[in-house]
Amino acid sequence: MANDIKILQRALDREKIARKQAEKILEDKSRELFDTSLELKEANERLEELIDVKRSELQGVFDNLVDAYVLMDLSGNVLDMNRSAVNLFGYDISEGLNVLKLIYKEDYGYAMTSFNALLTTGSFSDYQARVYTKHKGIRTVHINASIIKNKNGKAIGAQGIVRDITENLTQQRIFEEQKKQLSVIVDNSSLGIALTQFGKIIQTNRAFQNFLGYTEEELKTMSVADISVKEEYEESAENMEKMNSDQIDHFTVNKRYVQKNGSHFWARTSVAAVRNPDRSVKYQVALIDDITEEMEHEKQREILLDNLEKSNKDLQDFAHIVSHDLKSPLRSMNALITWIREDYEEVLDDTAQKSFDMLLKKVDKMDHLITGILKYSSIDKTETSKKPIDLKEVIQDIIDIIFIPDHIKISVTSPLPVVLGDKFRLQQLFQNLLNNAVKYNDKEEGIITVNCENENDFWKFSIEDNGPGISKRYHQKIFQIFQTLDNGKESTGVGLSIVKKIVDMYQGKIWVESEEGLGTTFYFTLKKV
Amino acid sequence: MSLTFLLIEDDEIERLKFARVMQKNNFNHNLIEVENGEEALKILENKDALPDIIFLDLNMPKMNGLEFLRILKSDTSLKYTPVVILSTSNNHNDLKECYETGIAGYLVKPLKYEDYAHKIKCLIEYWSVNEFVNV
Repeated sequence: MANDIKILQRALDREKIARKQAEKILEDKSRELFDTSLELKEANERLEELIDVKRSELQGVFDNLVDAYVLMDLSGNVLDMNRSAVNLFGYDISEGLNVLKLIYKEDYGYAMTSFNALLTTGSFSDYQARVYTKHKGIRTVHINASIIKNKNGKAIGAQGIVRDITENLTQQRIFEEQKKQLSVIVDNSSLGIALTQFGKIIQTNRAFQNFLGYTEEELKTMSVADISVKEEYEESAENMEKMNSDQIDHFTVNKRYVQKNGSHFWARTSVAAVRNPDRSVKYQVALIDDITEEMEHEKQREILLDNLEKSNKDLQDFAHIVSHDLKSPLRSMNALITWIREDYEEVLDDTAQKSFDMLLKKVDKMDHLITGILKYSSIDKTETSKKPIDLKEVIQDIIDIIFIPDHIKISVTSPLPVVLGDKFRLQQLFQNLLNNAVKYNDKEEGIITVNCENENDFWKFSIEDNGPGISKRYHQKIFQIFQTLDNGKESTGVGLSIVKKIVDMYQGKIWVESEEGLGTTFYFTLKKV
Repeated sequence: MSLTFLLIEDDEIERLKFARVMQKNNFNHNLIEVENGEEALKILENKDALPDIIFLDLNMPKMNGLEFLRILKSDTSLKYTPVVILSTSNNHNDLKECYETGIAGYLVKPLKYEDYAHKIKCLIEYWSVNEFVNV
């Protein structure tokens, strides 16, 4: 019995231990369960947070989408729009908007067809039509749309991405228009225009085809070398090489072209490069202009100029030689007359002496005239000596050189410029005019005034005197050689013709204003260089 | 000291003028007159009687003064003889070429005989006090 009790006792103990163990396990498990549920809860919370983040991210994308986004039910009632959509259409979602209201009248049929396609196929893309907007008027839009289905696969709405392509279309139209304009210009240009690539002719205009006598199709199969003269092509090729290596962007050459019938013509050729972004040459655009006639003229002009130069030189030499040959007999005459007077002094009476005097004076006058021709002919229009000359100094020099009686005063009433020119010629110019003004002055108090004004490309000078004046009918004549209004022996009629010639040299004009008895003003202009 | 002048001048009156100036001033010099360069070269062949000075006109038919001057200056025995140009022209190029080739003076003949007489007188007086190279 006692044994039984013991056994029972032990069994009871074992049971107790086992129960305790079981309780312990239970306790552990329930703790684990609690922990897990806690973790689960946390995880859930995190998940919800994550969904929130995603949702707000989505909202952000939705809002910031550059394209307009519209969500609508199957009747076209707008459920949601992003900011771009609001901007585009001008309506707010709260106003309640149906897309039917937006469809442009004439595009209605097309819109309905597209909507049906959307319903049957589940989406459409590249729908392009016009819409009415609240503020901006009619816009052209591009739409991609798709159907939204619930989890049972039933269509519950539609979404569309709308892009305003009005500007693009305008741009494109302008571009097309410009392209058209350009091609009209190119086609009707009198310049020959060709597009080439690596020496091959890609495209030509009508003028180019006419110049060469080939058709457009024929030219497309040809290269630049085919229509060039061999020696000249090499020069062009050199330039092309420079263009290809990005040393130059354009060049111009005068070269000959070979026409279909084998004849040549001269053309000024301007070639410009059209480059890729990496600066390599994509195309060359060549503009050619027929200058055969121009070259012909140029040649003739050169010949003429050459002849002119020769005859000018001849004329000068001629004047030079003739004047010296004419002077020689005058010297002899002077010597012989002088000797007769010396050798026969006792025999000659007063009348004879007077006659000889007059004879000598005529010889003298003749000599003056010849000197005048010499001076006049030695003014060469092509003289090129151009140095800065201070006219103030020139005038002062002249005032020092020429004889000015006490009763005559020369004054300068404005600053005198420094001009580019030949000092000797400029001095001749002013000296002749001032000399005349002094020499012919007939007043008790002679007043001579020099003035200069700045007139655009010219200096305008005036030399005014209060002398006897010049009758209007002589205002032109006085500038011709050997025309003099003075019967005295001193005047040769060369001075003013020299003045005119020098003024001509400086591309100026000379004219005179005068009132008889009161005075004369000579005006002349000198071109600034 | 008596000098010998060689005057090369194609114009008779010009030669008369020169002679008259010498005569009027009682210059005791010897004057040889020739009409052109060719004649002058003949005279100059006689090396024993070379002139002391040559007065040379530039404008002459056939051989002109400048051509004669070049021949003279390239001759080893004649190149020391001073040459004075008597010219009608003061043309810049003529002057330049003459001085380049080698001249001792350049006189422009004036219109008036009195002026001419004065210039020649001065010229002769100047050369009378000069030294010459004896070859």
